[in-house]
Amino acid sequence: MSGRRRVVVTGIGVISSLGVGREDVWRNALAGTPGGAHITGVDIGISPVTIACEARAFVAEDFVDRRLARRADRVTHFALAAALLALDDAQLTISADGHDTGCILGTGTGGNHVRDENHRIMLERGVDRISPFAIPYSMCNHPPAEVSMRLGLRGPTMAMVTACAAGTDAIGTSTAIIRRGDADVMLAGGADAMITPLWLAGFNAMRVLSHHEENPAAAQRPFDTSRDGFLIGEGSAVLVLESLEHAQGRGAAIICEIAGYGASADAHHITDPDPTGISQSRAMRAAVADAGIPAQMIGYVNAHGGASRPGDPSEVAAIRRAFGDELAARTAVSATKSMHGHCMGATGAIEGALTALAVAGGQIPPTINLTDLDPECAGVDHVIGTARTQRLDAAMSSNNGLGGHNAAIVLIPWDDA
Amino acid sequence: MSGRGLQERVVITGIGLVSPLGIGRADAWAAALAGSSGAGPVTHFDASAHGSQIAFEVKGFDPLSYIDRRAARRMDRSSQLAVAAAGLAIEDAGLVIPADAERFGAVISTGNGGNATYEEAHRTLLERGPDRVSPVALPMIIANMAAGHVSMTYGLQGPLACVLTACASSLHAIGEATDIIRRGAADVMLAGGAEAAVTPYAMAALDASRAMSHRNDDPIGASRPFDAARDGFVLGEAGAILVLERMDLALARGATIIAELAGYGATSDAHHITEPQPAGTEQARAITRALASGDIDPATVDHVNAHATSTVAGDASEIHGIITALGAEHAATIAVSATKSVHGHCLGATGALETSLTALAVSDQMVPPTINLDNLDPACVGVDHIRRARAQRVRTALCSGFGFGGHNAVLAICAVDA
Repeated sequence: MSGRRRVVVTGIGVISSLGVGREDVWRNALAGTPGGAHITGVDIGISPVTIACEARAFVAEDFVDRRLARRADRVTHFALAAALLALDDAQLTISADGHDTGCILGTGTGGNHVRDENHRIMLERGVDRISPFAIPYSMCNHPPAEVSMRLGLRGPTMAMVTACAAGTDAIGTSTAIIRRGDADVMLAGGADAMITPLWLAGFNAMRVLSHHEENPAAAQRPFDTSRDGFLIGEGSAVLVLESLEHAQGRGAAIICEIAGYGASADAHHITDPDPTGISQSRAMRAAVADAGIPAQMIGYVNAHGGASRPGDPSEVAAIRRAFGDELAARTAVSATKSMHGHCMGATGAIEGALTALAVAGGQIPPTINLTDLDPECAGVDHVIGTARTQRLDAAMSSNNGLGGHNAAIVLIPWDDA
Repeated sequence: MSGRGLQERVVITGIGLVSPLGIGRADAWAAALAGSSGAGPVTHFDASAHGSQIAFEVKGFDPLSYIDRRAARRMDRSSQLAVAAAGLAIEDAGLVIPADAERFGAVISTGNGGNATYEEAHRTLLERGPDRVSPVALPMIIANMAAGHVSMTYGLQGPLACVLTACASSLHAIGEATDIIRRGAADVMLAGGAEAAVTPYAMAALDASRAMSHRNDDPIGASRPFDAARDGFVLGEAGAILVLERMDLALARGATIIAELAGYGATSDAHHITEPQPAGTEQARAITRALASGDIDPATVDHVNAHATSTVAGDASEIHGIITALGAEHAATIAVSATKSVHGHCLGATGALETSLTALAVSDQMVPPTINLDNLDPACVGVDHIRRARAQRVRTALCSGFGFGGHNAVLAICAVDA
């Protein structure tokens, strides 16, 4: 820890079903605002699933020019908007040459709308009718590339693709890049726009989506006995990460510190999590060890909480394994996916942003729709229904993704003293 | 060579290639040195309506030689190539993976994940309805599943990621995997990429971006980096994975060290979505940063395996970048090879395939040729273009990759006894 560069969060831009912008999203998260609703923003045709957590308040034209609004994918609109909001929040001006600033954004699958549209055009009208932008605007790295181009970032830029852990891995890897001196500032986060006919059908075939069509607001129910899967969410979160010296040098308002990052793999099964939670607990422990703090300091875990039958118990098992039963029972846990849905490659970033705001302000957003705790998910201090005010010495955001990716980050409040 | 302690130095101890140059390190390296091109007409599908109808396909690849039948059925070809390449790399390294491999991880890229699976699933959705989409479609399509399958097949339980930067993806993957070892988060990493995009939509969409060769009547002559008559890249497919290890642990287990992965530099153009910045300024800075990150004396750079995709704009800007970074006098002495002339542009796997050939150049003190370079474009002069394999001193070699979106990555590879 000694001699290592410290990394702090100085700005947050976030878009989801909870709203647009840090204040809007945080207020709605603390209020326990459900995001689940019948899909209206896209034509999903005949779909076996008609509910999701759409970012309804988002208007692309508020953030991007008309050309990009028309041609680029919704995922890029989200990413660019969140990056602009984050820079504004951080009151940061990118250096003239942009050499010291990079960007890593997680995504599940990149520009789905652009790809599906062009593939359909090819099937219906022929190979020569595909747009020249079909590849550049659908590739997973387009969101960070567009952020780099629009804002003049010339440090390391890349997409992180680790399924549902991507946002968390993006923040962790960006932290490592600042620590090793390859950048002073990183825009880190994730973006996804996966409410499309193909992914609704694909996830539905996997039997991982909720079918509470009669009551979408209550459909995503992490840790609840009646949970039956997740709702697809969409949006983006971008965090401005800076080396401490850089942030202090410009007199930035520091939100919190990214103190640790850990990652591990299940090496177990394509879609099912390791039921023992061993592997996920390793990522949690590695993040705590990287932070160089005792585990007792972690007062809050923002859980993955995908509301899957096997996933939620294995995650609670991982927390118990990482912290020990006694400590786990005292650790506040909430799954904000109950409100913003499963935003895939963006979800770790959105949850990372909410965790940053939780440590900064000493307020924990709740898990909503948790009315009947599944005994298999007991053993932690679930924050249910309403936000809780609690001083936090440290907090963790943890996620795991299809393919066996586990990632966790540890955030600690910034104390100017 | 490096100011770092052995615990923070990273070495390459295994190479696994399933490529248009052949399967296995020895065959592929021999073909690269011989300048033996793997190009031909597309056979994976009927490409007669396509603008670009040629490709570098992997021939003679039987996934069942590496993967059991049931598992193979649930993998896109890109994942099959990754799992096979990883197995070959592990074997090449003589690596024994313990039952509880917490300190073994992987960073494996693909440009676009499971292309064939995507095209089939989306077509099924459009033609037969959402209820007919397979439950394994989504996990076979997502770009991180090559990494996931490598982890599952070989029991790797450390950090597991897929970084994606279009055509530079697997260079960033190797660079970030190196950093994971350096910062102490793992001891051994499998790093590289896999790509299987010789599919109807992927090829048509890449062609729509106007970067592909249409020299359909001459597949072997089509990929011609730095040549005045070049007209774009020829698509390739491959799995290319390297075993990276902490140097002290590799020495302790008596591993044969191929070369040191000594430096990594990543920058961005912030210029244009498909065009490189003409002056190669940011590519040059990636070279400078790669050398600085390993405390490497720039004067020791003897060889560059260039990104050189055979596009008009890209090849010229790359030479500018080399000259800017290393100076005109030094650049003129540097042996530059564009091995895409023999294996094509393997997108998310290309950087790892080229890094493998770069490491072998360092290990064998032998540089592979650029073929089809009959008439050097005056815009590409200023370096020592290699047209026939040559035995020479290679102290430090660079491998460069640049992706759509302006992502630049350069790896610096050093001889271990230097």
